Amino acid sequence: MLKTLNKYKAPYLFILPFFLLFLVFQLIPAIWTFYISLTNWKGIGTPKFCGFGNYKKLLIDNMFWDALGNTVEYWITGLLFILVLSVLIASLLNSDLLKGKAFFRTVTFLPNICAAIAMGLIFRMLFDENVGLFNELLVFLGLEKVPWLTSTKYSRIPVIMLNVWRNTPWFTMIVFSGLLNIPRDYYEAATVDGANKWKQFFYITLPSLSNILFFCSITLTVDSWKIFNESYILPGPGTSNTSLFQYMYESGFNIFNMGYASAIGVILIVILAVISMVQMTVKKRQGEL
Amino acid sequence: MKRTVASLLAAVMTAGMIAGCGGNGAGTDSTTAAAGDSTQTADKEKSTAEDKTVYPAGTITIYGTGQPQYLQEYYDAWLADHKDIAPDVKIEIVQTEGHAQSREKITMTALAGADDDLPDATYLDPVNIMDLSQAGILKDETDFLKPYLDQMVEGAANDATLNGRIYGLPESVRPNVLFYNKDIFEKYGVDPAMMETFDGYVEAGRQLKEKSNGEVYLSYISPSSKTWRYWGRRGLMPQANARIWDENGSIVIGEDEGTKLALGTLDTLYSEGLLLKSEIMEPALYDAINGQKVATFYIGAFWDEFMRKNCQATTGQWGVMSSPVFEGVGKAGAPVSSYFCIVNKGDNVYAGLLEQLWKDFTFDTQSRNTWVKSMESQNAPYANPISLEMLQDNFWKEPSSFYGGMSFRETEGKCLENGAVNLVVTPQDAEADGIISAELENYVAGNQTMDQAIANMDKNLKAKIGQAEIIK
Repeated sequence: MLKTLNKYKAPYLFILPFFLLFLVFQLIPAIWTFYISLTNWKGIGTPKFCGFGNYKKLLIDNMFWDALGNTVEYWITGLLFILVLSVLIASLLNSDLLKGKAFFRTVTFLPNICAAIAMGLIFRMLFDENVGLFNELLVFLGLEKVPWLTSTKYSRIPVIMLNVWRNTPWFTMIVFSGLLNIPRDYYEAATVDGANKWKQFFYITLPSLSNILFFCSITLTVDSWKIFNESYILPGPGTSNTSLFQYMYESGFNIFNMGYASAIGVILIVILAVISMVQMTVKKRQGEL
Repeated sequence: MKRTVASLLAAVMTAGMIAGCGGNGAGTDSTTAAAGDSTQTADKEKSTAEDKTVYPAGTITIYGTGQPQYLQEYYDAWLADHKDIAPDVKIEIVQTEGHAQSREKITMTALAGADDDLPDATYLDPVNIMDLSQAGILKDETDFLKPYLDQMVEGAANDATLNGRIYGLPESVRPNVLFYNKDIFEKYGVDPAMMETFDGYVEAGRQLKEKSNGEVYLSYISPSSKTWRYWGRRGLMPQANARIWDENGSIVIGEDEGTKLALGTLDTLYSEGLLLKSEIMEPALYDAINGQKVATFYIGAFWDEFMRKNCQATTGQWGVMSSPVFEGVGKAGAPVSSYFCIVNKGDNVYAGLLEQLWKDFTFDTQSRNTWVKSMESQNAPYANPISLEMLQDNFWKEPSSFYGGMSFRETEGKCLENGAVNLVVTPQDAEADGIISAELENYVAGNQTMDQAIANMDKNLKAKIGQAEIIK
């Protein structure tokens, strides 16, 4: 063992900083979080051990289940809309027919660099029931005003729209870089074989992007489960828009129930680990990993 | 060799200790304030120049909420007048979104062990005072405050008192009042005097709605947590003698008659279409006020500063009266108190200076009046004083043009009389507020009836909290 360590001293030394940082900033806090989740700690004073009390409470907490349901909705809609839009927009940006590519690529990326809180406030104005632009448009079209932010039926729509609007550009750029790496020969050969653009898209583009899209779906999943700004700045009635991450924050920093917030954090970690494992297993079965 | 190294280390440590001890007192050539100095009492001003405590150079940090830049005006003027004791001291107010955020910042800083980064003082409400004082973060002001208690409005220190000790210096005690637009009532021939009771208040709303063909709303309702905060916890609930917990901390909100009366009244107002659904403190509501569409506000006296700032189109139209009372209870609006709390931060050399600052702000009529005049000229916020003597000063009875010649300040003072007792505060209240508010928000969104909302509040409180700690 020591001999091996000695032999590979240099490589181990090179990767040591990562493991030290991982230990200090990730592993120890994760273990600490789990310990805190077993206590009734208010952020100050000595934590009082309560076993799995916080987890039992989570099972009967309607607000937790609401937050979990909302997060699943943000995740599914995010995956669906962002991935589809990213592929479509990236394909357009990569199209030979598009003139002024540099301009459109820059414009496409702009939403991603806007501060989420600032955009949330703008969305709040756009969706305001009384004076918002969307309702003004509906009235102009002869339709009824919609209580976007004050009805549990509609209140998640602005959150989903903001999430999609902000994150699509980032994933578009990732997909776009994937498109640039597909050899042109494939398309030329397909054209010679008489394949039309749709066939080329479904039989060349999408399969070639499969690893990129898998990476995007994993990243998007993690991002979607951590959604916070959008739902925080666009709150609906009660917990109708609350995300799990937001509920964790509010339990910890508004109510100062750190033990309970930590329990939510641990649940979040477990959920993300399970989803990632399922995604990896599916990918492995497809023989692509 | 070892002995030499050990000697060197000892010398370095000794030098370090000496330097460390002298660090905070640098620049002071007379009596310097000691850590946790709490004996700045009323007779201090009688002391001779030689006895005066001179505070070391530095910046005092205070966490403030709302629009603290206006309070900074008072502090800066006060420091300019007190060069003899604080020649090189500055005061900086760090704005926070609310008392909960001040508490969050303090908690996280204390948790990190960065005592030097803690503020020297902070404005807090009773819920946060409870938790922070239990953690030993707030200075016990009992001995300092005792000589002043009789000189302040009744119960000024009540909400900061825990187990007989006081952990905050009273900053404001403001009643819940009824603002009403006199012009609207006159236009539709409705007598505002009928709003002395809640039955009359509802009736006034019905008449206004009918006579204006639905153009005028009696008041507003917010789709967010502000409905519970202003209509519930601070308004109707205390006035109806309602309870969330009983004297043992058990949850009783589901079967409490006071809750049914309080939230039932809100239900009547909302279900009959007498309330405009609009977020408070947002442009849409101010537009509605300026457009003569909202006739009254049953809310804390703080609403005065928001209207003065945002509803200049209605200058001269507003009147203020005591909150309507529930027949059979007969109590006016409950006061809401805010406290100036000094932070125990290891070496808070400015504790004495801050106590003196509070004392002057509370009892020095001339400087307070000067500051209030400046605030009025800027349509800026200020609260009524809590000093009984200061309240007697004619300045606090001056008429206001915004209220058509009525003295808002005098009326605010009068509205403190016969005030209802606030809901009991427990360490579980922040969590309970979240649960109750969510049900009320769902009611406002039209997802459930008020009866269902109350039943769900009860059920969820029992499931998630179980029992509250009652701290006397």
